[in-house]
Amino acid sequence: MKVLVAMSGGVDSSVAAGLLIEQGHEVVGATLKLWGGVSDSGCCSVSDVDDARRVAQVLGIDHHVFNYTDEFEKHVVEPFVAGHAAGQSPNPCIECNRFLKFGLLFERAKRLGFEKVATGHHAQVVERDGKHFLVRGEDNQKDQSYVLGYLTEEELSMLLLPIGHMNKTAVRVEGERLGLRTWDKPDSQDVCFIEASKGREVFLRSRIPVTSAKIVDRTTGEVLGETDTAELMTVGQRRGVLPGRDGEKRYVAKVDIASQRVEVGTLEQILISRISLDASSLTFSHDELRDGATVLAQWSAHGIPKRATLRNENGWFIELHEPARPVAVGQSVVLYRESEPTIVEGAAIVAPS
Amino acid sequence: MTQLYFDHAASAPRRDEVVAAMEQWQHGVVGNPSGAHRAAREARKAVEDARDEVAAFLGAKPGNVIFTGGGTEACHLAVAGVVNKHRRNNPTTSVVVSKIEHHAVLDCVEMLERDYDNVSVRYVDVDAEGVLDISSLESQLSDDTALVSVMSANNETGVIQPIGAVASAVGGRSVTHTDAVGAAPFIDLVEFTKDIDMISICSHKIGGPVNSGALILRSDISFDAVVPGGGQEKGHRGGTVDVAAAVGLAAAVKATMKDHELTVKRATAYQDQIIAAAKQMKNCEVTSLNAARLPGTVHLTFEGIASDELLFLLDQEGVCASAAASCSSGAAEPSHVLSAMGVPLNKARGSLRLSFGGETKPDEVNALIEILGKVVSRLQA
Repeated sequence: MKVLVAMSGGVDSSVAAGLLIEQGHEVVGATLKLWGGVSDSGCCSVSDVDDARRVAQVLGIDHHVFNYTDEFEKHVVEPFVAGHAAGQSPNPCIECNRFLKFGLLFERAKRLGFEKVATGHHAQVVERDGKHFLVRGEDNQKDQSYVLGYLTEEELSMLLLPIGHMNKTAVRVEGERLGLRTWDKPDSQDVCFIEASKGREVFLRSRIPVTSAKIVDRTTGEVLGETDTAELMTVGQRRGVLPGRDGEKRYVAKVDIASQRVEVGTLEQILISRISLDASSLTFSHDELRDGATVLAQWSAHGIPKRATLRNENGWFIELHEPARPVAVGQSVVLYRESEPTIVEGAAIVAPS
Repeated sequence: MTQLYFDHAASAPRRDEVVAAMEQWQHGVVGNPSGAHRAAREARKAVEDARDEVAAFLGAKPGNVIFTGGGTEACHLAVAGVVNKHRRNNPTTSVVVSKIEHHAVLDCVEMLERDYDNVSVRYVDVDAEGVLDISSLESQLSDDTALVSVMSANNETGVIQPIGAVASAVGGRSVTHTDAVGAAPFIDLVEFTKDIDMISICSHKIGGPVNSGALILRSDISFDAVVPGGGQEKGHRGGTVDVAAAVGLAAAVKATMKDHELTVKRATAYQDQIIAAAKQMKNCEVTSLNAARLPGTVHLTFEGIASDELLFLLDQEGVCASAAASCSSGAAEPSHVLSAMGVPLNKARGSLRLSFGGETKPDEVNALIEILGKVVSRLQA
């Protein structure tokens, strides 16, 4: 088959390309140039493109660089900044996957005559009765099914995830066997358009005026402290929040940028049992789940899935079977199947309650 | 698959006579031209013969040819050399460049402005056809202008610039430099650049080796070396002169002069043929159609098509072409040249530059046109 492999310059997609070639596919590599600014990590820098190109040369396949910097700015960076400005916490990696890798790149691949697109994500596509299901990667530590949660049948049927059945060590062993210079390259961890040495705050300050806010105990109204950057406070977080007068830990309960106020409370006070879902973002991998279905909900890349009931009463939401720390608006909740916990059934962005 | 090479403006095919001329300087003992023995003298003679050829290409004095490691270095030496000398002797220094210069010049002036508080850069506009606006140039000149640098022909659009008018406007008040790298394969530089003080050329755009170029001076201009070590090239460019590179450049300019008429005649016919075909294609616009252009370049924009996809499919069919502007990653990027011309982004993003020369065969042009038509309609389907 003609396969376009999205090569980030990391070991996973390098090995993905190598394995597809060994399986006899007609493989072409493409690196997406996403971020136009300074970068020190992730999949956007010139040295990453160089690595991807060199891997393609060693594997003996063609390699192209596709420039998506404008689209990345529009669909990923701007919403990220706007979300923070509104006191939300969007996940840029999910948006990048949705709009760029599985949106624009898939469309391009079809126009250019490819039958399949492959990536080096740690997740698997399993075909069952003619339907394609997204399944967690074999390596628990590296599983990336969360960031792919919005894929539907149309995309899944065109997607190959050649390393999803391997653990990271095995991927590196394969990389070394194939003679790829990325075999021992460190994993990327951070958001690719934010310099690790400077962090989110410096990045946001370069884009928007940040807001100082009072940190207020939600029950007593007592001012416990202040923050320079309310935009960086996320509900549920404890870091940066001093304990209350009673000595008990405090957690962020609410971020209100407009009134420059961050409300904090004790763990019991902030726990939630209901998460509203944004209907326009709600995506089911296949059939729509019924109102009342039990699911396993996960709302961070490596979070622990929580049992919940999906509800549709004046809007979609999930009811958690056990209370949990609040989830920031803008984050994604990925729904896994209760009876087969590795299978993704859908995803949605958290809406304001 | 047959390779159809339409990227001469990136690097022209190496000429056989160049390879033959360089041959003897690439084996065994090649003397250092600065030495004092037989091998050195032989090497020095070859370098000086080469210098004569290059001087003839520009109608300059042989003593005014400085060999460099390519066009970028030649441009950098001219710009940084003149600016550095001026800023050491004056309270302020300005340098005037067109907005459509190659990055060899643009990045150099940006660096100088960044590094020295008393250096400023002034940019000259071009019109919608990509031709330098002389009144804009005049408005940017001032008493502290050390250098005016305007390219002879643009490397993306092929638009020929009014270099003579630039020289008249400057009127000897500042040093003038032209990057003639793109123009060299097609324009008689003796006449065209006769009023310009410094001219940069590059070997591999005219069928010579890469990492080989020259800065040619029309008069005794005083400027700093960028790499002084060793004092070679009359102190303008330190480092052992590469005999093979100099000989290769000389062979390339000699062949370019010999073939000049035929090259222009053939390229013009190909250009007409490609433009006629492009005009039949949907949402295709020929860039700078109303300006004087190099015969060997056709720049097109396809609204609604991404260059990346166009180049990908052309590549699959064996066509080597370019979007003309690319960043260090190799990704096509919106061009500063088209932006200066006011071409909207949705058109600029569908850029295609086809460049060719006297070696290009009629069959290749026919095949290119057929493939381009096929690929464009597929992407527009």
